[in-house]
Amino acid sequence: MLQLLRIDLKKMTSYRTFWVVCGLYFMTLGFGAASGMEFLKWLASFIDGFGQEINIGRIPLYHFPDVWLNLIWCAGLLKVILAVMVVISITNEYTYRTLRQNIIDGLSRGEFLLSKILTNVLLSLMSMTMIFVIGLVTGMIYSPSLELNRILTDLEFLPAYFLEVFFFLSYALMLGILIQRSGLTIILLLLSQLIEFIITSNLDDYLPGVIPFFPMESIRNLITFPFPRYAFSEIRDYISPGAAAIVLVWTFVFNYISYRKLKRSDI
Amino acid sequence: MENVLAINNLSKRFGRIQAVNNVSLQVKAGQVFGMLGPNGSGKTTTLGMLMGVVNPTAGNFTWFGQPPTDHIRRRIGAVLEHPIFYPYLSGRKNLELNAMIKQCPTENITKVLALVELAERQDDAYKTYSLGMKQRLAIASALLNDPDVLILDEPTNGLDPMGIAGIRELIIRIAAGGKTIILASHLLDEVQRVCTHFAILKKGTLVHHGPVHDVGKGTETVEVKADAPDLSQVLLAFPGTSSVNRENGSFQVHLREQFNATDLNRFLFEKDIVASHLVTRQKSLEQQFLEILAES
Repeated sequence: MLQLLRIDLKKMTSYRTFWVVCGLYFMTLGFGAASGMEFLKWLASFIDGFGQEINIGRIPLYHFPDVWLNLIWCAGLLKVILAVMVVISITNEYTYRTLRQNIIDGLSRGEFLLSKILTNVLLSLMSMTMIFVIGLVTGMIYSPSLELNRILTDLEFLPAYFLEVFFFLSYALMLGILIQRSGLTIILLLLSQLIEFIITSNLDDYLPGVIPFFPMESIRNLITFPFPRYAFSEIRDYISPGAAAIVLVWTFVFNYISYRKLKRSDI
Repeated sequence: MENVLAINNLSKRFGRIQAVNNVSLQVKAGQVFGMLGPNGSGKTTTLGMLMGVVNPTAGNFTWFGQPPTDHIRRRIGAVLEHPIFYPYLSGRKNLELNAMIKQCPTENITKVLALVELAERQDDAYKTYSLGMKQRLAIASALLNDPDVLILDEPTNGLDPMGIAGIRELIIRIAAGGKTIILASHLLDEVQRVCTHFAILKKGTLVHHGPVHDVGKGTETVEVKADAPDLSQVLLAFPGTSSVNRENGSFQVHLREQFNATDLNRFLFEKDIVASHLVTRQKSLEQQFLEILAES
């Protein structure tokens, strides 16, 4: 297993695009997550111009336990950058035909796929760790009280975030294996949220019951949009087991389709 | 002798095209086996099936007497069609990656790089290599694991004469070490020089296979020059002659079976003609190849 991960990392770590994209991703993630207060200040000055006033000190953006869900939801918007990297990594194997040579050299098709999946796991773990560290640091800075049980509340969204990233990277990997061309795959990847939205909004009138089962929708149900809670709305601040199960099933399906496709095709 | 490779009724169909049709053959240990055939005759598809990248439509094959597994391919060094490497990695890093896949010690890398004379450029990115260097790196990579079998598909494609000679020498040297080599090529001269056995594919069908030294057996052709005005009549009068052609100022005499150049020479001498030039023409693999393709 570790050997397979090492093989895939060896391919990537000498590839400049990989460092640029990953560097951009983790930098944006870090700076973006840490500058929420600046954003609130900007928002306050903006609203100020309309003759109203908000007290940003009263919005507990970075207070434990709010900080976890706030950060995780925002970080979820950036996962597409990592997914583009995954698409480049897999479609390169097709354009350079190195997938073929890897198999000739003695890797099985399953092992090849596993090496890519393991890299996805690693990238998801790194994202989760990064968010954990940022959440901990910003929470420590801004929270008025540092009681342990407040810090630990809502921490279950961290594994959910891992699942969200891994789900999306699995989806990107599957698209790459099915389409094999980087440009087209990336376009489809970027459009998939929109395409699903169009389908679900049309289904809304007839079959509202099936909508939670759509893949992108299941992510929205797993990690709830947190900000309405500052406008006196209730939000769900726990993980729905149903949504988690749907995401897990989709993740499995994506990787299984990749496996079937790789196993059956001539390369 | 032990079968290194046994193919039984192997077929591959791509949609409407039958790329490989019911091919059966054996390659034994120590053979240098030439796969011949025009472009598109199914050589690379056959090798692709043997190396696990093309799924056969029907038939099966065994490597070393066992059904093929993914890991058995590590005992086989193969380059199909053209060299394939990660363009942004250096030659050495590409080989390090291959060593990880084949699970062989990295010490071999320095050895094979020296063997193909790429040691000086090993740290440059693969995309900066010339075609000849890419071909040599591919051979280095195939040799990395000290394989029992080497598969080379058009290894001299696009090389200059020195490069071709270098690769030929390399193949002969590797074969002398007792390795089994499968060489797909359309350079018939190459195959005749280095191979012990050969097979011919045409439109996916195996039309001939056998040892290379059998080529040229059968009837002889003798090239004759002599200072005699009625030479062509005399040659036609020889009972062993089947036909005579005039070519570049000499006569090509095709003999019947059981007649040879000695008989012809004796006959001419008896007719008071002394040949100034008398050569038995070995049938080349090229002629045999064209004949077989025309017949089939």
